[in-house]
Amino acid sequence: MADVTGDPSAPSYDSELLSDQQDTSGPTSIGDLARIAAKNRKPKLPHWTSLIDCQDGTLLEQVEICVTEQEKRTGAARTTSMGMKDVYTVYLVETRVKESGGQGLGEGHTSLWRRYSEFELLRNYLVVTYSYVIVPPLPEKRMTLMWQQMSTVDNFDADFIERRRVGLEGFLQRVGAHQTLCEDGIFHGFLQKEDSWKEAVHATGFQAKQDSRLKSLNASFRLKKPDRKFEDLKNYASELQGNITAVLKVRAKLVDRLYGIHKIHGNYGRVFSEWSGIEQEMGDGLQSAGHFMDAYKDYIDDYMNEEEQIADQLKEYIYFADALKSVCRKQEVLQYELEKAGDLLAAKTLQKEQVMGNAPSRSFSLRGMRSKIFGPESQESKDAQTKVLEEQIEECEQHLKQATQETEAFIESALVEVERFKKQRTTDLKEIFINYAILQIKISKRGIAVWTNMKDCFQKM
Amino acid sequence: MSANMADETQKTDSRDVEEDPLQNPLSSGTDDEEDIIAVIRAPAKVSSTEGRPSAIMGSMKLEEEPDVKDLFITVDDFQKHVFTIDTYITYRVFTRTTRSAFDEPEYSVRRRYQDFLWLRQKLLETEETHIIPPLPEKHSMRMDRLSKDFTITRQAALHKFMQRISEHPVVSFNEYLKVFLTAKELTSHRKASSGIVSRIGSTIKTTTSALMLKNRSPEFTMMTEYINTFAEKMSSVDRISQRILKEQMDLGAEYESYGPTYRLWGNSEVELADTLGSLGDCLDKCAKSVKDMTLSIETNFLPAAKEYMLYSDAVKGTLRKRDYIQMEYELACEELTRKKNEREQVKISDQNYSLGAIMGKDPSDVKEAKSTKLESQIDKLQKQVDFLSDKSEVANADMKADMERWHRNKRKDVKEMFTGLAAGQVESYKQCLDAWEEVIEVLKSEKRHSDDVGNSLFQTSEPSVHAAGGGDSQLNGREEDEKE
Repeated sequence: MADVTGDPSAPSYDSELLSDQQDTSGPTSIGDLARIAAKNRKPKLPHWTSLIDCQDGTLLEQVEICVTEQEKRTGAARTTSMGMKDVYTVYLVETRVKESGGQGLGEGHTSLWRRYSEFELLRNYLVVTYSYVIVPPLPEKRMTLMWQQMSTVDNFDADFIERRRVGLEGFLQRVGAHQTLCEDGIFHGFLQKEDSWKEAVHATGFQAKQDSRLKSLNASFRLKKPDRKFEDLKNYASELQGNITAVLKVRAKLVDRLYGIHKIHGNYGRVFSEWSGIEQEMGDGLQSAGHFMDAYKDYIDDYMNEEEQIADQLKEYIYFADALKSVCRKQEVLQYELEKAGDLLAAKTLQKEQVMGNAPSRSFSLRGMRSKIFGPESQESKDAQTKVLEEQIEECEQHLKQATQETEAFIESALVEVERFKKQRTTDLKEIFINYAILQIKISKRGIAVWTNMKDCFQKM
Repeated sequence: MSANMADETQKTDSRDVEEDPLQNPLSSGTDDEEDIIAVIRAPAKVSSTEGRPSAIMGSMKLEEEPDVKDLFITVDDFQKHVFTIDTYITYRVFTRTTRSAFDEPEYSVRRRYQDFLWLRQKLLETEETHIIPPLPEKHSMRMDRLSKDFTITRQAALHKFMQRISEHPVVSFNEYLKVFLTAKELTSHRKASSGIVSRIGSTIKTTTSALMLKNRSPEFTMMTEYINTFAEKMSSVDRISQRILKEQMDLGAEYESYGPTYRLWGNSEVELADTLGSLGDCLDKCAKSVKDMTLSIETNFLPAAKEYMLYSDAVKGTLRKRDYIQMEYELACEELTRKKNEREQVKISDQNYSLGAIMGKDPSDVKEAKSTKLESQIDKLQKQVDFLSDKSEVANADMKADMERWHRNKRKDVKEMFTGLAAGQVESYKQCLDAWEEVIEVLKSEKRHSDDVGNSLFQTSEPSVHAAGGGDSQLNGREEDEKE
């Protein structure tokens, strides 16, 4: 392949790709890039509202939520230690109240700019506050499992930003369509209150309630009686992630090849048009076949974007699986705490029995030693000990009862939530597959059309 | 019938021709088998020397009765021969003919690739003025030389080679060809000729001649320019198609692993198991369609592109030989003019100070001797010039006729090759389309089962399928416009 480089007719689609990108990155300041690109280069990606199953009585019925625009901004004179300016992208969140209901939202139309980090804050808050809910995921921070041409871009690439916009919109709409989450005040604030929203979030003290990673890790290892249902869910979530990842990986490679194949056909276009110059009878046929080769080269770009969007929708479920896992983890933590409370109670009860002499100390203990050396303890001290222990036991019983209630309540709501999620997953995935099939049908039809035309050209030669 | 007559005339003519030593420059490297070679070569030789009638007849024959073929050659049924020292493959060369030059109506012989190489070499030597179709290239890796795929491809190419030769109005009468088709044992014939030496000779001859031409007819300059560009384009096409083929093969492989990932996923989903299963099946079908397409490109398109790359080299070679023949003629003409000038000089010159006169000879005698010598030289040269002029004319006529034939074949073949490519693509896309349309029916019905929302959702996306079709017709319209 060494000889290929120097040859102008050498097949290379990379160069064409490059020039394609240069065309779009030409205009003016970087700051406008995303917006210009989003507006001019291609039609905006449609959001996938079709996927979001609107539940009865949810916010989304009365309110329209959109993320309509994105803009690149530079932090005001606040330079980091590296001397680099803080550059970030903001997204315009627009809310339109269609009919005023008792949802605690203001009237009319509001629009405000939010950063990705604010979306993250909102989601963290929701996850902690509604730990039994499988909170819809945000679009990923960096792109993974992408079609190769896409994976080289940075976080400010127009395509990336546009896809994130679509993802963020999907997130807000999913939250808005969720029976519980849509009623949250902080969520409403996110949509409508520009000022002091962050302070309001922090004021809820949700961070204090956040389980540390260590704690949950601890819990999952030391659990005595793991709940089978949640164990299964956890396994399912891992499997789902594995399966979707596998599918997306192959898909990315597949699409890569497909893209390459289309682009290399562009070289035929060039060769044909040069070749047509020296042929008398075949010239016209070659020339027009060359046009179709070019068309074949070009139209793939459109389909690639659609493909990527479907891939994004599928990918959302990798992150949904994470959300499912986090609900399972929460259950583990609660279960662990419940077991700990039970253990403590059992220990205290045993201690009391021992003190009262009702139960023989099963093992060698300090108390046994003492009673052997100093003789049995006096009745008063025994009584005092018993009293203390009884108080402690009562406290433990209270605690246990509370933990049991909490866990039961959690399990109950979580299982309802899981059922809802499963239903949503089945519908969504089917919808995604149908969309995928439709896209493949479109691509095939396009392919048939272009190649049939080319066949006609060749036949006329 | 006329073919036989042509053969006959060639034979009778050949005797006269053979007597002139100048007419057979190739026989210079003679050995003890000269006679045999001369006999073998003679009739074929005539087609180029006494050439005008036969060459014209050749092209006329093609126009008058292009459908009447009297020589059918097939190459098939390769066999592997394993010996301790060497392992090789032979191909059956089967001939069916009504030509009277052949004693039997059918011949079946087994030939190795080397034998084909020998035949082509002989044809190149004896049919200098004709375009000899190419043979498939030697294999670059000895290891793969005996692989089945390679042999099948080579066999097809050898068949094509024989077919092209059998269709050639002149070359198909070559005696070496007859030997190749009929001789039970080819080794003795092969030993009889020193192919390699003369081949090296001819390449040296041809490369040196290209730039030295005085007045090449623009026709041939255009031919040369054309074939150079054509060769370039053909090799681009070959390179592009190979690269695409590689990508398509990888695509096929990816598709093959795509289906199983869906089925695997299906194992852990209760409600989606059927959906994922049918997706997997659909992708398997797509994988197959891509595989079929790559196979068709590999067996039809690529060999055709390769053949035309090599074919254009053959054309280039013949053009160079024609140039050489013309140069020979031009040089002879120059020499003749020079000698004629010299003769004029001698006539008017004073020979008193010539070397002969100094040596004590009579100047007039010297003058006389010189004149006589020159006269005989001029005489000889004149004959040579006449002969070379004829030869050059024949070469030109053959070149034009062969080129015309080549163009006709090329047009047909290139058309076939690309039409086949497009048809393969259409077929592949159709198979994918069928697979996806089938699966979408399954998905839709499953969705209808699970909920009724699905229906309305799907209907919103349905028009886009038709929109794709509409888009293409728009595209057609645009292309039509461009054409106008």
